[in-house]
Amino acid sequence: MERRDNQSPQGETARILVEFLEVAISSIVFLKGVYPAGAFERRRYMNVVVQRARHPQLKDYIHSAVSALLPFIQKGLVERVAVIFFNIDCIPVERFVFKLTVNQCYGLKLEEADLEFSLRSFLIKLSVSESLTRVLPHDCRWEITAYFRSLPEASTSKDAELWIPTDTRQWQQPPLLTPIKSMSSEPLCVQLYLEHPNSSEPKP
Amino acid sequence: MSSDLSRSANSSGGQRSKRSFNNNNNSTSSNRSNNSNDSNKKKKISQKTLGVAWGANSLSSSRSSSFRKSPFSDFGSYMVEKNRKLQNQFDVEASTSSHCGLGSGKPIFHGVSIFVDGFTVPSNQELRGYMLKHGGRLENYFSRRRVTHIICSNLPDCKIKNLRSFSGGLPVVKPTWILDSVAANKLLSWVPYQLDQLANNQPKLSDFFALKSSPQSQDASPCAPVCQRNPEAEESPFKCGTSIDAYLSDVGESVEHSGLISGESDNLINKNSNASLVEEPASSCGKPSEVTMATPSNFDVEDESSVRNELQSSHYQPSALVSSNFMYNHNMKGSPSSTVGGPSNQRHSTLEDPNFVENYFKNSRLHFIGTWRNRYRKRFPSFSNGFKCTSSSIKASAPKTAVIHVDMDCFFVSVVIRNHPELQDKPVAVCHSDNPKGTAEISSANYPARDYGVRAGMFVRDAKALCSHLVIFPYNFEAYEEVADQFYNILHKHCNKVQAVSCDEAFLDVTDTEGDPQLLASTIRKEILESTGCTASAGIAENMLMARLATRTAKPDGQFCIPPEGVDDYLSQLPIKALPGIGHVLEEKLKKQNVWTCGQLRMIYKDSLQKDFGTKTGEMLWNYSRGVDSRLVGMIQETKSIGAEVNWGVRFKDVKDCQNFLSNLCKEVSLRLQGCGVKGRTFTLKIKKRRKDAVEPVKYMGFGDCENLSHSTTVPVATDDVEVLQRITKQLFGSFHLDVKEIRGVGLQVSRLESADNCKQGLERNSLKSWLISASASTEEACSKYWTAKERFNIGQGDGVSGQLCANSVSLSIEMDNNMSDSEACVNQVSELPPLCHLDMGVLESLPPELFSELNEIYGGKLVDLIAKNKGKSESVRSSLSTHSHPQVEGAMNEGQAVFQSDPVLHNEIPVQNKHIYEEVQAVCVSGEESYSVVIPASGLVKTDLMPSSLSQVDGAVLQQLPEELKADILELLPAHRRQDVSSNVLSEVPLESLGIKTTENHSGSKDSISDNDLWAGTPPQWVDKFKVSNFLILNILAEMYYESGSTGNLSPILQRAISVPKHQLDASREGWDEATHILRELLKQYIKLKIEFDIEEIYVCFCLLKRFAMKSELFLHVYTDVFPYLQASFGENYGGNLHISLKD
Repeated sequence: MERRDNQSPQGETARILVEFLEVAISSIVFLKGVYPAGAFERRRYMNVVVQRARHPQLKDYIHSAVSALLPFIQKGLVERVAVIFFNIDCIPVERFVFKLTVNQCYGLKLEEADLEFSLRSFLIKLSVSESLTRVLPHDCRWEITAYFRSLPEASTSKDAELWIPTDTRQWQQPPLLTPIKSMSSEPLCVQLYLEHPNSSEPKP
Repeated sequence: MSSDLSRSANSSGGQRSKRSFNNNNNSTSSNRSNNSNDSNKKKKISQKTLGVAWGANSLSSSRSSSFRKSPFSDFGSYMVEKNRKLQNQFDVEASTSSHCGLGSGKPIFHGVSIFVDGFTVPSNQELRGYMLKHGGRLENYFSRRRVTHIICSNLPDCKIKNLRSFSGGLPVVKPTWILDSVAANKLLSWVPYQLDQLANNQPKLSDFFALKSSPQSQDASPCAPVCQRNPEAEESPFKCGTSIDAYLSDVGESVEHSGLISGESDNLINKNSNASLVEEPASSCGKPSEVTMATPSNFDVEDESSVRNELQSSHYQPSALVSSNFMYNHNMKGSPSSTVGGPSNQRHSTLEDPNFVENYFKNSRLHFIGTWRNRYRKRFPSFSNGFKCTSSSIKASAPKTAVIHVDMDCFFVSVVIRNHPELQDKPVAVCHSDNPKGTAEISSANYPARDYGVRAGMFVRDAKALCSHLVIFPYNFEAYEEVADQFYNILHKHCNKVQAVSCDEAFLDVTDTEGDPQLLASTIRKEILESTGCTASAGIAENMLMARLATRTAKPDGQFCIPPEGVDDYLSQLPIKALPGIGHVLEEKLKKQNVWTCGQLRMIYKDSLQKDFGTKTGEMLWNYSRGVDSRLVGMIQETKSIGAEVNWGVRFKDVKDCQNFLSNLCKEVSLRLQGCGVKGRTFTLKIKKRRKDAVEPVKYMGFGDCENLSHSTTVPVATDDVEVLQRITKQLFGSFHLDVKEIRGVGLQVSRLESADNCKQGLERNSLKSWLISASASTEEACSKYWTAKERFNIGQGDGVSGQLCANSVSLSIEMDNNMSDSEACVNQVSELPPLCHLDMGVLESLPPELFSELNEIYGGKLVDLIAKNKGKSESVRSSLSTHSHPQVEGAMNEGQAVFQSDPVLHNEIPVQNKHIYEEVQAVCVSGEESYSVVIPASGLVKTDLMPSSLSQVDGAVLQQLPEELKADILELLPAHRRQDVSSNVLSEVPLESLGIKTTENHSGSKDSISDNDLWAGTPPQWVDKFKVSNFLILNILAEMYYESGSTGNLSPILQRAISVPKHQLDASREGWDEATHILRELLKQYIKLKIEFDIEEIYVCFCLLKRFAMKSELFLHVYTDVFPYLQASFGENYGGNLHISLKD
């Protein structure tokens, strides 16, 4: 990723965050084994071994979805980014939620190494958290959903148009949360947790 | 004087001129050369000339005396003169040739001066011509000063060894360089033409293989005349010398001239020894001769011209004759030598030998045996496939079975010596090398040799020590194949149910064959002996196990029958080792249980056998000890894995080398897969890595003391494709992160085999299957990753804390070791273990016990010591810090959390160590992370030089958070002129709220009102003090743990440590129960409040731990159940869900 020298710290943070999300989402998709392992290749990111999608469409979907979030993240509009796995009836089975808090007032120069260190621990933790997740049913589907603090006004950016308002089916009961990793450093706080349907959730 | 000399030349030359045209006389001439050599040595010991060529010219003693009277005082001055003359000749010739416009080329070789070493194509003469034409020079004698390039096609072994001193670093180039340069009409770079042998002259046994395969290798035939073998090399200069001598004497030369010749040859040798090719004059007659070999042809040319010039007579014809004769000689001897074997020069470049893997397996007996079955199946496809079903049906109908086990007697030896009847009773062994000092392993020894104690697997030198007249033969794989085929032809002729075990061993089911099995066995054995010339032994019994054991008794060359009623007797005294399936390990285990024979083994219950050795092995032991074997003849076991492993001769210079090797290994494996008609999905790469302290292995080029490492991966679709294999192997290899120089063995194994046909058919099914498998594969991978990740994690944290002050992992820590030097260390960690001193105590101590023990193992138990030491240290530090008499700074600041510790409880303790206590005030400096330390010696002296040199290094916000006295102290420590800066800086910086929101909130709270509601406020948090003074034991413990866990301000490390507190301490007293539950509840609630927004991971960990407490302690159960609803409510509020506390924890 190219880096502009005169970027604002917010922009820089957002850029790193977006890059991280792309890797993390790829890792999640890999972790869940939605696609055969052959669809991924080992790559090194922030000095950790990660899996990157090899299939052009898959790669492109993740990349475009996440990079289109960039302007919104910069504005601090994005509250959560969720990777949701649905069963055949489009009912969520498992959600990986990234809760983002970007300190907009953080005016000082960003220490990328600090941030990378923290983000790396996510990737490490993620790669070993398969036991926390549930086995997916066959014919599952997945998507990336972002939760905004407020609906963005009609955007001018072409990229941003990739994101469309949606109403994902929700569980009727509050879900069960399993935290995977949290980091809170300046200017970025990210928490990753799993959401599973409550056991009392009515079965479809 | 002159007459004297010419006479002698005449007398000796007369005979020798004939000899020189007749190469049958090698032996006499070499004898003579040796004789003269000896005599010469006696006479001329003071001169360091070597005898060979010199001796050739000094048959008579008169020669040497005449030589002394030659016009030159010594060889040195003679050589100088000679070289000058030769140069002049060359110059003259060069000028004439260019003026004549013969081939007047561009002077492309200007400044190039070559020295031609050994036989070359084109010949030295032609090369000289090129040099003449194109402005180069050709030196007849090697000189480091004048020669710029050494030209040769081939170098003998010993020369290679001496090459560094020989070439003096000059490029050694193939003659094609000159040809190509002439063709291109410009001077090309010599680098691509560098002699292959030199490109890598690291010893490696690939050349050994290369030479064995020389008949097949492509350049063997053109190179045949080039082969310079020591024996004839020794003779050739002599030959040459004599022939020249002869020719000269025939012509009737003058004294001076022949003196010149003899001097020439002497100097030739002299020169050689100057070039330090010769180390031991007496023993290494072969060595100088190799250089002289090069020079004779050279010599001829020179001689020719000198004769022409000086004597004005043309002797072109005879001299040409001589030289061609020499060549002829050489050819004759050279070509057979290459086929005889032995150390020929016909070698590929050592490290880059492209055929190493191939040759390795071509020469491997194990490989022969291993791949033999494939050949067998191809040869007898109907037999090996067809009868399986019939055998079972017959089994059902015929109650009494008969199995014959036929095994050839010392197959590998007897096949080789079947054409050597004289060796039948001599000790003979087969081995790929017969170097008596060698560490090659004997692969098979015949019975006479076994009587001497020679065993398979012995080193040759040990075997030779046992039996000095042991004859060693190399393998003869063609013969083995031939004999094996004959063997099986006979077996198949007599019986239609043959199960091949190996190339020399088979089971026959003769249940439904007419006639007595014993009679049949003897017929078969007789036929085998007749057709193959080798003996076989046979065992007859009612099942395979017993038949095999019977053969053991029958050997050698006999047969033995164990009737069903004799089984028990036979077995009862049989040592357990004799049973198939019992190897060293199992034997040892059984011997420990005092089981030595099958009879003893029978005493053990099946259940206990199965318990001790596993279900399958236990059952096998139980059955076998009773002679029960339910296997049917013809049950061919499915191949489970296919692979190739090379553990010998593996030495890599660089990664490229290694990759090349791997790709060849893949080729081999792929061929094997294709040969078996299967494809595999799981690939395991096994590496033998030299142990750190391992010395060179006893066995030459063996692997020695190694660690065995292996990685494997599974791909979704089975493959036998070379490229896929190579890619996978490369990846696998990459995951080892090894230094290739340490590798001593590599093996690639393919398992989860599928038939190649199935692969084609069931693509659909396969893809579904691959789905399922991919999940398991990813688990595997994840597991392996987990460990590396863990390791890295530790490394990362260790570094991060000391150097980078990274955010959330360990937010506060006192670093006792001054790891300051590491702060610059980049976070880029390889998977190597970090040195102990880099490990972060906080991280180590909070590791789960299993993980810790594993790490401890990795570090060889040093971790425990380290921890213990560290504990001692930290205690001493704490106690010294808590003395009130000195101003204290204990600040380990990270991420805006400041810790101030002033410990009233411990204030009476005396500092244990009187050394300086380093405290690192690690501050997050917004401008750039920089750690610095404030050193406060226990004595109260202040080392100001360690104070931050400028205020930009002091985080104002941190300073602001410090208690007033502390702030004052620090300000005082700063030089006066800086003080103003500080205060202003602090004032200006604080409002920026560069500290975390939570801490800001928190701290503002703590300043306003300090109450029960702010248990987490301050550093250390208020609860610590409260707990410390509590009279409730568990609270005291928790407070204690706060410090022990590194005062990070997080609850989970504290709980983590407290988890090891014995159960009875948790609930010890009932007094103050209510108070304790209350304060714990408060503590937790406030902690939830504090963390819910930003760190649910921490909360999660804490509650998982609490749950574990709750299982042990009523108090905690109480607290847990009280707080849990609050926790869920908070989660619901913030995240719209409930925290799921996994039951596993």
